[in-house]
Amino acid sequence: MTVSRRTVLKTLAATGAAGAAVGVAGRAEASHAAATLAPDAMGLLYDSTLCIGCQTCTVACQRANGMPVDKSLVTINGAPFDFPSDTNGYNKTVIKLFDSGERHAFMKMQCMQCVDPACTKACMLGSLHKVENGIVAWDPVRCTGCRYCQISCPFNVPKFQWHEAIPRIVKCELCRARVDGGKGSACAEVCPRGAVIAGKTVDLLATAKKRIAENPGRYYGEKDETGKVVPKIYGEHDGGGTQTLYLAPAGVSFQDLGLPKLTHEPPAQMAMTVQHGVYKGFIAPVILYVAAAVAIVRNLRKDAAEAHREEGKHS
Amino acid sequence: MSAEARPVGGRILTPFFYVLALLAGIMATLVLYRIFAGVGSITALTDGYSWGIWKPINVVTFTGIGAGAYAVGLLCYILNQGKFHPLVRPAVLVGALGYTLGGTSVIVDLGRWWGSVFLGFPPWYNLNSILLEVALCVITYMAVLWVEVLPAGLERMQSSHSPRWKGFADRWLPRVRRMLPFIIALAMLLPTMHQSSLGGLYMMAPTKEHPLWFTGWLPFLFLTSCLTMGYGSVVAMDVLLGVVFRGKYRTHMKLLGDLAKVCGWVTLFYVAFRFAALGFEGKLGEAFQLTGPVPYFWLEIVLFLVSGLMYLSPAVRRNRGRLFLAGFVGVLAGAAYRVDTYLTAYDPGPGWHYFPSLGEIFVTLGLAALGVAVFIVVVKTLPILALGTGHDAPFDPGRPTR
Repeated sequence: MTVSRRTVLKTLAATGAAGAAVGVAGRAEASHAAATLAPDAMGLLYDSTLCIGCQTCTVACQRANGMPVDKSLVTINGAPFDFPSDTNGYNKTVIKLFDSGERHAFMKMQCMQCVDPACTKACMLGSLHKVENGIVAWDPVRCTGCRYCQISCPFNVPKFQWHEAIPRIVKCELCRARVDGGKGSACAEVCPRGAVIAGKTVDLLATAKKRIAENPGRYYGEKDETGKVVPKIYGEHDGGGTQTLYLAPAGVSFQDLGLPKLTHEPPAQMAMTVQHGVYKGFIAPVILYVAAAVAIVRNLRKDAAEAHREEGKHS
Repeated sequence: MSAEARPVGGRILTPFFYVLALLAGIMATLVLYRIFAGVGSITALTDGYSWGIWKPINVVTFTGIGAGAYAVGLLCYILNQGKFHPLVRPAVLVGALGYTLGGTSVIVDLGRWWGSVFLGFPPWYNLNSILLEVALCVITYMAVLWVEVLPAGLERMQSSHSPRWKGFADRWLPRVRRMLPFIIALAMLLPTMHQSSLGGLYMMAPTKEHPLWFTGWLPFLFLTSCLTMGYGSVVAMDVLLGVVFRGKYRTHMKLLGDLAKVCGWVTLFYVAFRFAALGFEGKLGEAFQLTGPVPYFWLEIVLFLVSGLMYLSPAVRRNRGRLFLAGFVGVLAGAAYRVDTYLTAYDPGPGWHYFPSLGEIFVTLGLAALGVAVFIVVVKTLPILALGTGHDAPFDPGRPTR
């Protein structure tokens, strides 16, 4: 007995049908509704043109959040040097320097508090979740340390404590514990130049627009459809919008500063559209299960009947 | 009469077995150390590359190899190709082992592994999480696979001299057999869900994944490639078993030939579909800019094509060695696609680098060795392999053998 062309075709057809179902279902729910900016959502506005790179924010952040000593720090001439080169399991915010030789600019890294974050979509048990003011918070009890948030975050924000037996995911939560106590984000509070300010994102947007209007030519812009260079506020639309916003100096792009080029869609939009399309109401899996069970029971019965006939012939 | 599954028998503690045990021991030591010193203590993982080789190899490739149970099961039970039954039991055992090892590797990799107990607490489920779907599906499927292995254990118990064991087996074997069709249906549904979602996971990283790999068809490509890997592993393993247990086990050349035909077409379909999807998304041009990870794309395509075309050649299907090679290259192709999607084509941005540490490599080797060792013990003591002369006759594990 050889395998018939029909079996091959059937196999291909079955795989193809499953694929088509996936595709059609994915496109049927054309857009999985993306979240929009809430009026009470909070964030930061970082103006790179004002920053002098003093790193006071880094220190204030560590203190305000009771962060443990950064064990990953480099030592210079045998002495530990207290300036981390990147956010890590012990630092939620750092200042980086972009230097092209002729131009330089500072850059503050911390969580962007996305309007529609990928990390909260990725998180299995909702450890990373949105709380009041749209802040993305981390709940240690629900975290399994799978680090899928790190894969899904386009900004590489969530950091992991790699050398702890009981590690944590570390990221900026806008000092929400302090906000509850009537104080603001520590970094904004201590910034001597007002380069980073905290507040409601709608207000921050207005402030950014005001600064752009008052200082023509000061800020970085991008060409719009008509070819005109328009000053850009990073986060206004990028990745579906972020509650923390950025202004860059003219001549230095946001990509120079280390921010990814994103579309206006939330980063998880496509994944959510496909996934929720396929698993809508869990209908497809149920149908698939019932169909499989019916086919199996039928085929086993057929086999048993055949075997019975065979045995009858032999006896 | 049909060939029955029987224990292979023979000495268990061979020199090869000691080598496997040593590798598994090294792995266990490393894992113990990691529990106290953190994930970073034995891995080269960073905040940029937060998933290393353990994910694409230990989880996604081991379960890909284990997908033989799913791939052959589909033919056997859904498309009613009952003749493939003799290949099912060993494939299911490999599946149970592959998934269990993958699951073990995940636990070792989880930074806060104790938190995974809450995967049993539905109120906390985040239904947006593709990883949650994978986790729940894989855990359930692991249980399903071991239930499918159960009849072999119970049959062995039936031939026990102890009346208590025998009575237990006599009572439970019919019950398990009655349940089996519904368990098998789950065994068809669950891999469809999680094997596709293993690819779906990387739809969440649109900015980090290379456009040649990033597509809305990731789930479907992973599902198809798990079929080619599953068939490949069944083909390669059946040849290997015939060599290792020569004189006792005879490779089912005729069955494998039939399987190879199916797999050949599925493999070519995968390649065609991959290009079609790229064309559909207008990304074909990317394949010809041979920078970054693009050469690896062509390496995958070549591996898939080689195995696919080999399967379809009658000369290969007649030759045990060449058939093994076809299956092996097929598994390699799927593994390459998976490793590339998870690592080679994944770029978290400038400044991040990853190369697996010795610790990671030895954990992977140790887990694989543990799997092989358990497989050897089980086939030597339990009725898994269809031994005897009637090796090409139909065999049904779902029917009582009287």
